[in-house]
Amino acid sequence: MSAIRAIAVHKRFGDCRAVDGVTLDVAEGDVCALLGPSGCGKTTMLRLLAGFERPDSGCLMVGGEIIAGGKTFVAPEKRRIGMVFQDYALFPHMTVAANIRYALGRRAERAGERVREVLELVGLSELGERHPNELSGGQQQRVALARALAGTPKVVLLDEPFSGLDAGLRARVRQEVRQILLAAGVTALFVTHDQEEALSLADHVAVMRDGRIEQVGTPEEVYGRPASRWVAEFLGEADVLPGTVSEGWVECELARVPAEGVGAGEAEVLVRPESVALSIGPAAGGRTQVEGVVVEREFFGHDQLVHVELPSGRRLRSRSLSYPVWHPGDRVRVQLDGPVNVFTAGRS
Amino acid sequence: MPKTLLTLLVLTATALGLAACGGDDDGDALVVYSGRNQDLVGDLLERYQKDTGSKLEIRYGDSADLAATLLEEGDNSPADVFLSQDAGALGALEAEDRLQALPQSELGKVKPRFRSHTGHWVGLTGRSRVIAYDKRELKESDLPRSVFDVPKPEWKGRVGWAPTNPSFESFVTAMRKLKGEDVARKWLEDMIANDVKTYTNNIAIRDAIANGEIDIGLINHYYVAEAVAEEGPDYPVGVFFPPNRDLGSLINVSGVAILSSSEKAAQARKFIDYLLSRPGQEYFADVTKEYPLASGVQPDPALEPFDKIQAPKIDLADLAGLQDTVKLLQETGAL
Amino acid sequence: MAVLPLVYLVIVVAGAPETARDAIWSRDAFELMLRSVGLAAAVTATTIAIAVPLAWLTIRTDLPGRRVWAVLCALPLVIPSYIGAYLMVSALGPSGLAQDVLGVDELPSIYGFTGAWLVLSAFTFPYVLLPVQAVLRSVDPQLEEAARGLGRTPRQVFTSVVLPQLAPAIGAGGLLVALYVLSDFGAVSILRFDSFTRVIYTNYRSSFDRESAAALACLLVAVTLVVLWLEGRTRRARAYHRIAPGAQRRAVLVPLGRWRGAALAFTGGVVLVALVLPVGVLGYWATKSVAGEVEWDTVASAAGHSLLGAALAAAVAAAAALPVALLVARHRSRPSTLLERLSFAGHALPGIVVALALVFLGTRAWPVLYQTLAMLVAAYAILFLPQAIGAIRAALLQIDPHVEEAARSLGRSPLAVLRTITAPLARSGVLAGAALVFLTAVKELPATLLLAPIGFETLATEIWRLTSASFYERGAVPSLVLLAVSAVPLATLTLRGHSEP
Repeated sequence: MSAIRAIAVHKRFGDCRAVDGVTLDVAEGDVCALLGPSGCGKTTMLRLLAGFERPDSGCLMVGGEIIAGGKTFVAPEKRRIGMVFQDYALFPHMTVAANIRYALGRRAERAGERVREVLELVGLSELGERHPNELSGGQQQRVALARALAGTPKVVLLDEPFSGLDAGLRARVRQEVRQILLAAGVTALFVTHDQEEALSLADHVAVMRDGRIEQVGTPEEVYGRPASRWVAEFLGEADVLPGTVSEGWVECELARVPAEGVGAGEAEVLVRPESVALSIGPAAGGRTQVEGVVVEREFFGHDQLVHVELPSGRRLRSRSLSYPVWHPGDRVRVQLDGPVNVFTAGRS
Repeated sequence: MPKTLLTLLVLTATALGLAACGGDDDGDALVVYSGRNQDLVGDLLERYQKDTGSKLEIRYGDSADLAATLLEEGDNSPADVFLSQDAGALGALEAEDRLQALPQSELGKVKPRFRSHTGHWVGLTGRSRVIAYDKRELKESDLPRSVFDVPKPEWKGRVGWAPTNPSFESFVTAMRKLKGEDVARKWLEDMIANDVKTYTNNIAIRDAIANGEIDIGLINHYYVAEAVAEEGPDYPVGVFFPPNRDLGSLINVSGVAILSSSEKAAQARKFIDYLLSRPGQEYFADVTKEYPLASGVQPDPALEPFDKIQAPKIDLADLAGLQDTVKLLQETGAL
Repeated sequence: MAVLPLVYLVIVVAGAPETARDAIWSRDAFELMLRSVGLAAAVTATTIAIAVPLAWLTIRTDLPGRRVWAVLCALPLVIPSYIGAYLMVSALGPSGLAQDVLGVDELPSIYGFTGAWLVLSAFTFPYVLLPVQAVLRSVDPQLEEAARGLGRTPRQVFTSVVLPQLAPAIGAGGLLVALYVLSDFGAVSILRFDSFTRVIYTNYRSSFDRESAAALACLLVAVTLVVLWLEGRTRRARAYHRIAPGAQRRAVLVPLGRWRGAALAFTGGVVLVALVLPVGVLGYWATKSVAGEVEWDTVASAAGHSLLGAALAAAVAAAAALPVALLVARHRSRPSTLLERLSFAGHALPGIVVALALVFLGTRAWPVLYQTLAMLVAAYAILFLPQAIGAIRAALLQIDPHVEEAARSLGRSPLAVLRTITAPLARSGVLAGAALVFLTAVKELPATLLLAPIGFETLATEIWRLTSASFYERGAVPSLVLLAVSAVPLATLTLRGHSEP
């Protein structure tokens, strides 16, 4: 059964179609990322689910029950949906414990116990009596999550949950949050514009663009088999080489590779940097290879990104381990060493 | 905070509830709207309640404001009696048919010129405009015979007036009504050209004369009488009533009426009877130093006898049209 | 409720449309309206220029004794403008104290525009001060720090970051000042500034012409709507809350350094003119009046009544204003804006007009409540509701709406969210609003005289009783008591506001 189901949901603000016919299923216990550039409607989608906005048409269901659609509109407080806001939205006039207890209602039994439980879950057992302004950003983030989880919601929604954290903290908190969500066994839908965040954290990724869902799949699927050139480029670094398709094969400057399901004619070949290998001397296995010149190198410690210019003047990026060290001006052999994606030219 | 707010609201509700219940306890009391200040009539009204055992509920306010209130209240007015500082407010209520006719037994106690022609209100006390002067510097024969002599060169810089004072404004209204708009305008302009000194009220003018700042002033008679009562007969300020029905000795009255909506007319008449009776009138003569209008009560002996004052003849209810007067005062620069 | 006076005006004007038309189309009315609007504009600008720096100095800097200054600076609000005007006349007017002290024969005239402008500015600037202080207490210091980090000087930070945040509060406060000036009669009549209210008053007071008066009052309402529209333009649907993640920290005080002397001189100067001088003159008069003449038990009971009436009015107005302010701050739409605008009408109308409107409606609609405490409190609430709305709305705009949404998604109904989240967070605004209403209601005169239960004498009616028949000097003792009883709750509020995060 789907924990969250959206069917042909539309929402406009004035002339702007923020959500334009979104259909989406999130399985129970799944962690799903709603990924897209800013302004694509993903936060609106979240607010529709939380009940802060009403859909113009379409239907939204949580746990098999309609929460919005037709004449039905369940008020936000009746939806049992936990929400973690981008700015955390902690109640500044309450302690951490009071913030969490707020989710339990006044009549809740064993409220104190539950507060301790969730605080332990997020690893903040010691900080219950602090006020939000006395916590670090990461701690506030976890309090917001604990508060959202405290009422044992059917679903938790997270709006750009890591955007307020600095880069170093982000990777760690991300994994902590994933562990917490898995431990709580809750279905989670989170919104992000950061593909790395989506790919590393989610079981499934829904890529959204201009109010529509472009593709849904596992991180491997959306990254490895993007449904469109736009998805491919949005999900990671990619360079485009022009090619020609005939009889199930595409011919481009670098190689001739299979191109299943692409019609004959002009095509675009998307090459990710990790599929481009550089070497000196003849390549192994007699693969197609061309000679190029290194024009730039970015060093990242664990790996490097090398920009090479092909004989046609086109540039291509290659990601490899940090050795060997290339220098601008080096002449190298460039060869394809991994999957590529082929799209009919002119369609983005 | 919510708790504090809640507590306050509960308190409010309780207080308001109590107030609403307590409002109509004294169903038998006579409700009086008094445009005369508590300091002037409070003791008299106390005395009435003590003497007769009747109960009064008194709302004090400005005569004009109370008259406007009575007009708005209409038939639902809780008031039975209206005690007014001047005839204008009574005239306004009479014109809107808000007053009950009084029986001749009451009206007859007061001369026709000091009561309503139609018998809807009756005057209680009279007060006269006078020229107050410095007795140390001037004799009565030195004084201007008429207010129209005041703007003459010999009085340049020696006169005080209080243009914001309602009695002064009534006086200007009377001048407009009796002598015409142009005469009044010229008089005001001449006064200002003659360097008249402006004061905030009548008492300030009286004290300025006593201090020797100015020599004469245009005020009401009782301000001087009050000071004489307090300081003794050597008080340096005297009053002069310009003769020949001059505007300088204009007489206005305070009065009383019964509201047409009152269901306690008999009780109200008893109250008015008291005000017009000897003890009532003597109170005014003694305390406010006004001229008693009924029961043959004599005014304060220090005052000019009432029938010697040669006041101009004017329908007192006419003195209500103050708006044009204020405009005139402003146009001439008096205000 | 707040629209009731308008209903009354419409009823009266509809009863005599021709009289009403003549009254409005007179050249006089138009000219006087221009004068009144001019005075209102001048006073509003002056109060903003005084109050904004004062608010900043008393909340955000290490000004020595800033809490005491904060209380002292708010106090001039309790001096009724007619008393203030009279104090001005007796201090600076012809043959006044200043002439005596300085030994000069003539001072520049304080009558007319100058006097009215000075007096009204001196006694109304707390209308701007209080809401601005409330916002300064809750505005996010991180924004200022961020601006400092971007290389801006403190002064640039103030104009580019702090001032825009304060705009709604300044707008709301300035609006109250403008409307107060438009509706004032006491000060302008004593200082002989010929204003629009004078026409309304003379229509009632001397001609008993209520149709003309009501028509003119309608004109005043129309002008008010224009003023409101202008003020509305200063706060076009913008977000004033912080958008950064994380909870807010407490502000750090700005050290004044070498500016401390100048800051003290400025604050002290304002307090001297608007509070010390008036109180000094009052004190001088009080000592002049014979001690035996003061009826202390009358004064005490009047003080009790004043406190009761004003406290109830403050509570009722704050409770009524919160939903209205919320509606306006959160759900901006044509009807909600209109509702808010109309609620301001009561504030722009002279007290006598509102009082008579309630007399008219009270005697017809709720005769049981007529001239009870309930009626009086309702009158205060209608007259002063906008003061509470303005202060609360300004505070609400500082609250991140996500916080309210978070509470909704945690299973609380809108009402519960209002009670547990919004109201506590807007507390400084609610308290400031209640304080404003209290301070204004405690000195209210025309409605009190006409609508209070019989025998419910307040300090204001007491001052009126003592001064209307003779010298203003006699009102000195109750005036001082009025100041004293207002100072206590005001001090509590201000100090409490200071100690809260």
